[in-house]
Amino acid sequence: MFYPHWGVEQMTLFSLARKNIKGNFNNYFVYFVTLVFSMVIYYTFTSLQYSEKIQESIELSDTMSFMFGVSSIILILFVAIFILYSNSFFTRKRKKEVGLYAILGLRKKTIAKMLFYENLIMGIIAIVIGIILGTLLSKLFAMILIKLMGSIAEVDFGISILAITQTVIVFMVIILFTSVQGYRLIYRFTLIELFYDEKKGEQIPKVSLISAVIGVILLVVSYWLILKPFPDEFTTEYLMKNYGIAFVALVIGTHLFFRSVTVYLLRLSQKNKSRYYRGTRIIETSRLLFRIRGNARTFTVIALLSSATICFLGATYSGYYSNEKRAEEVVPFSYSHLSKGPEFDSQVERIIKADHRHPIKAQLDIPVIQVKGILSFQLDYDINPVQLISESTFNKAANALNKDETVLLSRNQAAVIQPRFTEYTKSVFKGENITIQLPQGSSELPFVHMVESNVLPFDYPDFFLVVSNEMFAEIAKKEAPLTYKVYEVENEVTAQATSKKVNKLVGNDFQVSSSFYTEYKQGKEGNAITLFIFGFLGLVFLAASGSIIYFKQLTEANEAKGQYEILRKIGVNKKDIRKSIKRQSLFVFGLPLTVGILHSCVALYFTSNFISNLIGINLIFPILMAIVFFVIIYAVYYVLTVNTYNRIVNK
Amino acid sequence: MKTIVEAKQIKKVYGAKGNVFSALEDIDLTVMEGEFVGIMGPSGAGKSTLLNILATIDEPTAGDIVVDGINLTKMNEERLSAFRRDKLGFLFQDYNLLDTLTVKENIILPLALAKLNVKELERRADEVADKFGIRDILNKYPYQISGGQKQRTAASRAIISKPNLILADEPTGALDSKSATDLLESLKDLNEQDKATILMVTHDAYAASYCNRVLFIKDGKIFTELVKGKRSRKEFFNKVLDVLSALGGGANDVI
Repeated sequence: MFYPHWGVEQMTLFSLARKNIKGNFNNYFVYFVTLVFSMVIYYTFTSLQYSEKIQESIELSDTMSFMFGVSSIILILFVAIFILYSNSFFTRKRKKEVGLYAILGLRKKTIAKMLFYENLIMGIIAIVIGIILGTLLSKLFAMILIKLMGSIAEVDFGISILAITQTVIVFMVIILFTSVQGYRLIYRFTLIELFYDEKKGEQIPKVSLISAVIGVILLVVSYWLILKPFPDEFTTEYLMKNYGIAFVALVIGTHLFFRSVTVYLLRLSQKNKSRYYRGTRIIETSRLLFRIRGNARTFTVIALLSSATICFLGATYSGYYSNEKRAEEVVPFSYSHLSKGPEFDSQVERIIKADHRHPIKAQLDIPVIQVKGILSFQLDYDINPVQLISESTFNKAANALNKDETVLLSRNQAAVIQPRFTEYTKSVFKGENITIQLPQGSSELPFVHMVESNVLPFDYPDFFLVVSNEMFAEIAKKEAPLTYKVYEVENEVTAQATSKKVNKLVGNDFQVSSSFYTEYKQGKEGNAITLFIFGFLGLVFLAASGSIIYFKQLTEANEAKGQYEILRKIGVNKKDIRKSIKRQSLFVFGLPLTVGILHSCVALYFTSNFISNLIGINLIFPILMAIVFFVIIYAVYYVLTVNTYNRIVNK
Repeated sequence: MKTIVEAKQIKKVYGAKGNVFSALEDIDLTVMEGEFVGIMGPSGAGKSTLLNILATIDEPTAGDIVVDGINLTKMNEERLSAFRRDKLGFLFQDYNLLDTLTVKENIILPLALAKLNVKELERRADEVADKFGIRDILNKYPYQISGGQKQRTAASRAIISKPNLILADEPTGALDSKSATDLLESLKDLNEQDKATILMVTHDAYAASYCNRVLFIKDGKIFTELVKGKRSRKEFFNKVLDVLSALGGGANDVI
């Protein structure tokens, strides 16, 4: 504890505060590291936000700017809460010191001012260090982002004046607030409260069966609501009602789970005497039981935060991971264009053939006839104009794309290609038919198949009908088909230069790009940025939740020192104490993580249903990766906590 | 009669070069089975250091200690822990109860740690609880009971594993006189009826008067020894007071 230098009249408050910090840097260290950490994170994020490359993508896409906006608000909120939390943690430790000043006769106002200055000085130093470290770190993050996007594109994350200004403003507000809190500390408490703060003993929590049952019910209800299959009609109102209720139930249920259900379960485990009265289990169980009320809120926040993080990370990583598949679906062939006369066509062909690094694997013509069609049933999709292609063309194209789908039709039958970005299944079309109107009169074709291989780049409305060769030839006599020229080349994911040339020449034949590479690359960049943002936020949440548990455990360790000393005296050896600490920490880290993973699995089941219906891929791998990543980082915190805890109580 | 504690030439030196403080100097101590021995002396005389060394919580700088035929100086940490658990019982001024355990759980803790079977464990818990009259508070937590009850809980814990030696460090230090007397009576019964061997550090002459024998330590050396013999407790008490005034310095806080 620091004893101020008495009798030095000329010592200003400012210098007293400064000496205070210098004198107990260890006490201040944890708080200071928190400040710097928050600042580095925030500055890195804003400097990314203001970099040219990302500004570009923000301007291009509404989703992007929305995401960045939301992310930076979440980050500010989060950073503020984190700093306030560690500030109150820090203040609690210093109450006695403040009480001592008052007893030694320092005026309240003087102490208040001193605390104010102290916090301000620390904050300002933290800002400077935070920005310096943040600048270095943003370089590193920039490199990661470039790697993710897979381009050598210039991503400049130099020193950004805008980012500095924004960081300084945000943090000055937070620091001023905490400084005022510090100023008010001495006025908020009486002297006796300052001295005896830590004496408040925790009491054994009572088992409340009712709230445990309500907690379980709420969790079950929210899971049920989330996992419920989608209704036929998907309205905003339904979304709000169903998932809004599910969310609220989940939050309250999780809190009750930690508050009551765990108490109930721990109490139950005490009933089994032959297990409970064996070795150090008796100590761990009772310690956990005593601490659970104090930890319930932290556990809830951490479980919910981790599940949100795993969800976002899983979903965005899925996007990144599945980009190639998605691009292949949107733009099936390497190059596609509408035939515009022999001269134009051969010009395109020459460009593609000139690229020796990407030799042509397949090259074919796809004749398409656009007709008007009426379905025999109600479908909420605009089908006109219906695009007709012939059976043989489809089979050839599918073969060229290495898809093992073939269509066999008799004269009057038709097969539909599943419209992209929809979820229609075979059963929707089964037994139904389509009436196509031709100059020679309309004809009714029953659906016999639904296939999923697309042959041309996406263009709305995306309704392709495969008809028999005879039928196609017949219609073609009256209605001249449009011919699309498509090429499939080797190693299409690297065909940058040629794609650029082709795109330029072809222009906008489709809503999407006419070359696979462009679609693939755009998707990859967009997904990389999303992944990066969420990865970044995830990392922040992860680090913060890990740190919160870490700090909490360390405070507990300091309080429990005496208790462990008793155990040593009674005859528990160091190895057993370490084992006991391990088990206890495993519970403290494992419980919120397990609940978080469970929540996120449920939520991801919902999102993946949503996403994979859209892009039709398996998301298990990316989601698993996100979870594994999360568990690994938590494990690192766990080991760190066990070691420090052990060092504190088991020297 | 069996020798329970045999300590020879115990030395304890604190500090490093240039600033050495000698807490114990060549202390010899023998305690026989069934004895109730008190250790007295002014503050800083080395009483607690001696007790801690006998308790294997602290290590002597030099010297040999044999408890119940086992040489403590040759044991590693793990074996020392097991030794403490199985052979020693402790009683401290500040009770040293675990806040998170009930009275009963505190009492059975040494047995639970030794992984005794539950039936035996419950039986012994009831037995010691009856002995110290704390049966009706078995399910309470330490924050719910009084100081005297806490110390009786601690005493129950100290004897539940039937230790060869009970070590008590100022056990009455934080108790009011009624609770102190109750506890001392219990210890005496334990000593007389169950033949428990007790070693108690105290600076309270009243507490010391319950012992069979009192050792006085001053400046790390044994100053003198007083045996109760056939004297009444009252007479022994006066004897102790006499020695204390001869000892002088810091030991005048008698009741």
